[in-house]
Amino acid sequence: MKSIRFFLSIVILSTITLMAFLSALNGYRDSMTKAEQLFDSELMDKAHLLSIVFSALHIKNKSLNTDVSLIDLESESGKIDNGLTDETRGEDFNDHFFAFQIWQNDQLLLRSLHAPETAISQFKQGFQDINFFNHRWRAYSYYNQRSNLWIITTERKDIRYVLAENIVLETILPVVIMLPFLGILIWSIITYGLSPLRTLAKELGSKRADDLTPLAIDKQPVELIQVVNSTNDLLKRLKASFFREKRFASDAAHELRTPISAIKVHLHNLSHLIPLPELPSAKNSFLQLQSSVDRMGHLVEQILNLNRTSAEQYVTRFTELDIYNIAQDVIVKEYAHFEEKQLKIALEGEHCHINGEQFALEILLQNLLTNACKYTPEGGSVLVNISSDDNNVYLNVEDSGPGVPEDQYERLFDRFYRLNGDCHTSGTIGCGLGLAIVQQIVELHHAKISLGQSSFLNGLLVRVIFPKEGAK
Amino acid sequence: MLLSSVIIVLREVLEAALLFSVLIALSKQMGLNSRWIIWSLLLGVLGAFTYGMNINNVSEWFDGVGQEVSNALMQLTIYFMLVVFMLMLYHFSCKQKVSKFPLSLIMIMIILLAITREGAEIILYFFSVTHSQNYYMAVLVGMTIGASIGISIGILFYYLLSNLKPERSIFIGLVLLLLVSAGMISQASLLLIQADWLPSQLPLWDTSELLSEKSVTGQLLYALLGYEATPTAIQAGLYLLGLIFPISIIMGLKFTYTRKKILSDRPTKQ
Repeated sequence: MKSIRFFLSIVILSTITLMAFLSALNGYRDSMTKAEQLFDSELMDKAHLLSIVFSALHIKNKSLNTDVSLIDLESESGKIDNGLTDETRGEDFNDHFFAFQIWQNDQLLLRSLHAPETAISQFKQGFQDINFFNHRWRAYSYYNQRSNLWIITTERKDIRYVLAENIVLETILPVVIMLPFLGILIWSIITYGLSPLRTLAKELGSKRADDLTPLAIDKQPVELIQVVNSTNDLLKRLKASFFREKRFASDAAHELRTPISAIKVHLHNLSHLIPLPELPSAKNSFLQLQSSVDRMGHLVEQILNLNRTSAEQYVTRFTELDIYNIAQDVIVKEYAHFEEKQLKIALEGEHCHINGEQFALEILLQNLLTNACKYTPEGGSVLVNISSDDNNVYLNVEDSGPGVPEDQYERLFDRFYRLNGDCHTSGTIGCGLGLAIVQQIVELHHAKISLGQSSFLNGLLVRVIFPKEGAK
Repeated sequence: MLLSSVIIVLREVLEAALLFSVLIALSKQMGLNSRWIIWSLLLGVLGAFTYGMNINNVSEWFDGVGQEVSNALMQLTIYFMLVVFMLMLYHFSCKQKVSKFPLSLIMIMIILLAITREGAEIILYFFSVTHSQNYYMAVLVGMTIGASIGISIGILFYYLLSNLKPERSIFIGLVLLLLVSAGMISQASLLLIQADWLPSQLPLWDTSELLSEKSVTGQLLYALLGYEATPTAIQAGLYLLGLIFPISIIMGLKFTYTRKKILSDRPTKQ
């Protein structure tokens, strides 16, 4: 069931169609039977009428001359003519619906123009279905005892059927015609009926990531109140949970910073107090301890950054910024690390403006440059390039390091993921959060990030594409 | 004319709609995309027009019984395709892997053939009856009513099947396809009897008084079970054979799967 509206519309329409048409068929059958009965009673009336008229005439004739029949068939007056000539009779013949005969003692006294000269049906009172002149006829035979006359009236069944069907069709046709309109009506009613659900979905969809205010409950229909209540409850719990998480992460990081700084100072002091060159095994432990403390410090800083730049926590303060200037500043700040490894770093491109947040973009560039610095062997090069076209601003950071296999690109953005795991060959400090932070900042700016192979330096190429309009 | 138009169109549409709805519901349960539906519909309509327009030539084949024989052949092809589909469905229900391409192809073929045959019958009926102006409206209304009833039943069937649990839906779908396919065999045998390819016999029984084939219920049962009020012994025999054939293969498959499972579950000797 992909759409409730579609499902309801189609199922309701199908059910109504089925029911309406089945009852229409039933109605059709009943109406046809009734029409048949109506035609039968009309046929009977015609016979009775003929009987009354011709019996009176016959009795009158009989009283004048007892041997003279009603009408002499041999004479022209014995046939009831409608003024047609012999040529036109043939054409008209098939369209004739009614025929009759009047008999007395096996003698045909009178017949309509389109009746045969032999007896149409048996001399038996009542209705019969018979064939003559290539058609099926409904016949009614009536015997008048007073005048000793047999009156046989007939009507063509096929014409009766068409006439009856045309009348019944008039009642069925509106049911068929109204069906498309009914479909539109059902669709519209269901669309209208589902509008509170759509409004609720829209309201939830348009909620900003950091907007955890409860939904309005006063205008909701009864069916949705439970959903809204549950959602509000969830939002409330989510808000409290975010708050706790935010407090915990930042408090923990803050609280850890101080003892780590203290450990670093004490380590530094200790290095002067202990004659390390004379104790090679102690020196090794000491260096490992220093590296671990640095790593822990780095981790705490990264967790703080990750926390600060997350969409849930971030209060957007976007301004128009020159990304080239930011890159320049970050390179200056990080230059010492590059110099330490004798790496060449170059900034190319043009001054480009984007809508962004200074602090977040600084962290983004810092992370990208730190990564490039970490994984590029001594004496290598790192290139930062900033360019733009009509729609986008491109930030490329390339290095001459060993690069990353293509199948690892996706995983690099996972939190705490490091290429080759803990057996990292670079021997550099890292916690696997750098690119996760970068991706978070990229999403915050509605930008896109992709990894590839540098065509200039053969190492890793990180490309960030900022939309020029930027996230407002 | 209205009633006979309803019955003739309902007979054709209902059969195709039921087959179609069962196949769509099952294909959704099996995780197939819906591209095959569009293909089968398009090809089916095209096939119906081509077959309907060339029916005079087709009728002349096989000494004037070409139409009956080709219709019977189409029914038999649908039957065998349905048997293959049922086996694949059973295979799928036993959590076995089923390749989707042949499955889609079989379903396209089934619907294509069904629409070609049923559609051609409707086209032929329409053109043969509507040349008389007297009946034009009645035939048109009757055809609309027949087609609408058939399609509505198909749609309701589809939603009924697709809203059931997958296992139940597959089981019911399998039973329905089994009955429909056996009905195909019975229809094919009737056509071959009409073509004198099979001997004609006296009917085994006559239930037309009890349930006429010309009623809506009769037509529903005709489409679902291949209901015939006056079947001959050959027809009834072939119908039963059509039922037993796929059931026995499915039973065979079931036996093989159970045996395989028992063998794989048995602890190996050290």
